Amino acid sequence: MVHRWLISIMSIGCIGVLSANAQQANPYEGDAAAIRAGGALYARRCAACHGADAKGTPGPDLTQLGTSGANSKRVFDVVQRGIEGSIMPPSLAADNEIWAIVAYLRSVGTVPPFANDRGDAARGRRIFASVCARCHRVQEQGGAMGPDLSRIAMVRSREALVQAIRDPSASVERGYRAVTLVTKNGERIQGVAKNEDAFSIQIMNADAELKGYSKVDLEQVIHESQSPMPAHGSSDLRRRELDDLLAYLGTLRATDDAER
Amino acid sequence: MKVKKATALSALLVGMHVHADVTYEDLLRGLSDPSRWLTYSGDYTGQRHSPLGEITPANVHRLVPQWTFQTGTLARGRGFETTPLVLDGVLYVTGPNHYAWALDARTGRPFWEYRRDVPGDLTYGASAPVNRGFGILGDRLFLVTLDAYLIALDRRTGGVLWETELADYRVGYAATLAPLVVEDKVIVGISGGEYATRGFLDAYDPDTGKRVWRFYTIPGRGEPGSHTWPNADVMARGGGATWMTGSYDPELDLIYWGIGNPNPDYYGADRQGDNLFTNSLVAVEAKTGTLRWYYQFTPHDTHDWDSNHVPVLADLTIAGTPRQVVMVANRNGFFYVLDRTDGELLLGEPFTETTWAREIGSDGRPVVLNEDGSSGCLPDQWGGTNFNPPSFDPALQLFFVTARETCAAFLADAPEFVPGQQTTGGVVWIDRDHPAYGALRAIDATTGKRRWEFRYTTPTMAGVMSTASGLVFAGDHEGNFMAFDARTGENLWHYQTGAPIWGAAAMTHMLDGRQHVLIPSGGTLVAFALPDE
Repeated sequence: MVHRWLISIMSIGCIGVLSANAQQANPYEGDAAAIRAGGALYARRCAACHGADAKGTPGPDLTQLGTSGANSKRVFDVVQRGIEGSIMPPSLAADNEIWAIVAYLRSVGTVPPFANDRGDAARGRRIFASVCARCHRVQEQGGAMGPDLSRIAMVRSREALVQAIRDPSASVERGYRAVTLVTKNGERIQGVAKNEDAFSIQIMNADAELKGYSKVDLEQVIHESQSPMPAHGSSDLRRRELDDLLAYLGTLRATDDAER
Repeated sequence: MKVKKATALSALLVGMHVHADVTYEDLLRGLSDPSRWLTYSGDYTGQRHSPLGEITPANVHRLVPQWTFQTGTLARGRGFETTPLVLDGVLYVTGPNHYAWALDARTGRPFWEYRRDVPGDLTYGASAPVNRGFGILGDRLFLVTLDAYLIALDRRTGGVLWETELADYRVGYAATLAPLVVEDKVIVGISGGEYATRGFLDAYDPDTGKRVWRFYTIPGRGEPGSHTWPNADVMARGGGATWMTGSYDPELDLIYWGIGNPNPDYYGADRQGDNLFTNSLVAVEAKTGTLRWYYQFTPHDTHDWDSNHVPVLADLTIAGTPRQVVMVANRNGFFYVLDRTDGELLLGEPFTETTWAREIGSDGRPVVLNEDGSSGCLPDQWGGTNFNPPSFDPALQLFFVTARETCAAFLADAPEFVPGQQTTGGVVWIDRDHPAYGALRAIDATTGKRRWEFRYTTPTMAGVMSTASGLVFAGDHEGNFMAFDARTGENLWHYQTGAPIWGAAAMTHMLDGRQHVLIPSGGTLVAFALPDE
């Protein structure tokens, strides 16, 4: 990661050769030189609030733009105009510089489409409905315990999805981590932690209900290392079924035109 | 009838004189009048420790809100950072985005509201549209602004009496701190160390607004300290902002003030040397602004670890010798005790788990292990603590501070120097796999050892206040306003305010025979007291 940033910083000069172009689509989408230049601009002008890795604090996590449905023009407008009443200022940068920043954010927040030739997406959709939809939503259909996967192929590569299915505990997103609450009378309540402070915890329980607890009423708060999502090994999700499921997940990728 | 009217008018005029204006002697008396809180930290020591004792460890669990004042304005990404002043049942409160109010301390209802119209092209003031409070003297309130002015307001009307430009905001300057009134001077510092600016500390005449003296925190060519910079061009944009209210010792007639980071924040290659007097504590003569001594906490800083903290004055016995000391829990993660007569280092101990430096050497300089965070972790750019005020209980000799445990690496990048544009010179890489948290910590001021801590779930920017009854009031980033047993750290009470308590610390005063405790949070100011029985 460090090397990547240094490369971006060194290549700042190339922005000068880019032409300005205020339009709906990003003229620099996927343009490697513009992305490098945009990264350097981002580091100088945006990273103080949004983090060097664009994952936020104190500003919002910009690596989630791909799943939020915000298209490139919308991101461009927010950068250019700022957000009224917030600390996000308007930018005085030239259009081509802003488009380069947007291209950079697209590059860190999204992954390229992956090949879909090994499985059958229609079969995969049925597998999703029977195995995954209890906890995951696609286009408002499905459960709420796990992350919304409506645009998951925008932000996860095929390899990352395979790992998330075979070994979900390797990495669990904040807001979906398993927690067990032990009450004073020994009852164990399982769910995913949505928020927590020194005195209280807010969870979604196993019935997908939102529940809040005061810690003074709890004997113990156990942050589980295992994901609440079961690991789907080759015995319950065979290779061909996995390929089908991946073929379906690969379609969950909104285009700029389809985005809000 | 005429006679009767005249008598009534005389009575009214006599009544007005009951509410005497604030004198320097009042400021010197600090918190000895329990109905008052007349300067940012409560008194000149910076201890933020009230002698009040109606609210105790035994009854604090009964504390309840009395009223909430809604400002209607927010400093998103920052906080409602003010400390209200209180005089004769009236609170004088500054807010973000150039607002200020006089409030009825019994109800939170406003007497007047002030708002300054400022230009649309603010620089530092746009990125941190905050204010930390008023100074007061006579019938005047003193307020600094985001376009870098000092203003005097009539405390009865909120009307502007005079205004003075501190510096050109278009270059990068702004002002955010609570002025410190010392005798016949209003002492103010400047913000903008993220821009190519040159910091200073100023004194102004409270009657006219005319500047009495200026102390530049970055020396001029050939002046003391200039040998720690490569050349005069770099010095002219060397940073060293002064954006946090200092403390004052009337007997020594010395003002103690924290100095901010050198600029560029992270890129140090073109400013080789210690870069005095950045990241230092300075002691300057109140009458003249002449530097008496300095101590630099972080020589040649490349982490934005401003030393803009409230210096805390006390008398301590260190290693068997009575000392007049000044204490600082620094953004670099170390707790320092200095002799405030001459700046001699008496104690320097880490109060965080920092791997930046092993210790403070016998020469008073840190023994640096890890300059850029390339191995292990450094405190992030917000530091091991920040400007959020600490407090000190002289009876227990405990220093209470909000600590931040974070893990970061710093990547430098040469900036372009464009007036009005930030020149931080790089980025900070936060290690998000490393657990980060906040904690209220009690430090034995005579040894630097930790006595107790209470952990928060995330790094926290809230300040601290303590009381003689053995209570510590603190806040967290999750919005809790809390009371702790000062001796043990046991949490005794908490109230969810609904927004991070960010940069603010509590204040307390007596009103109608009842102790009130106030805390700003988000867009609200909430007053608490025990139930009226």
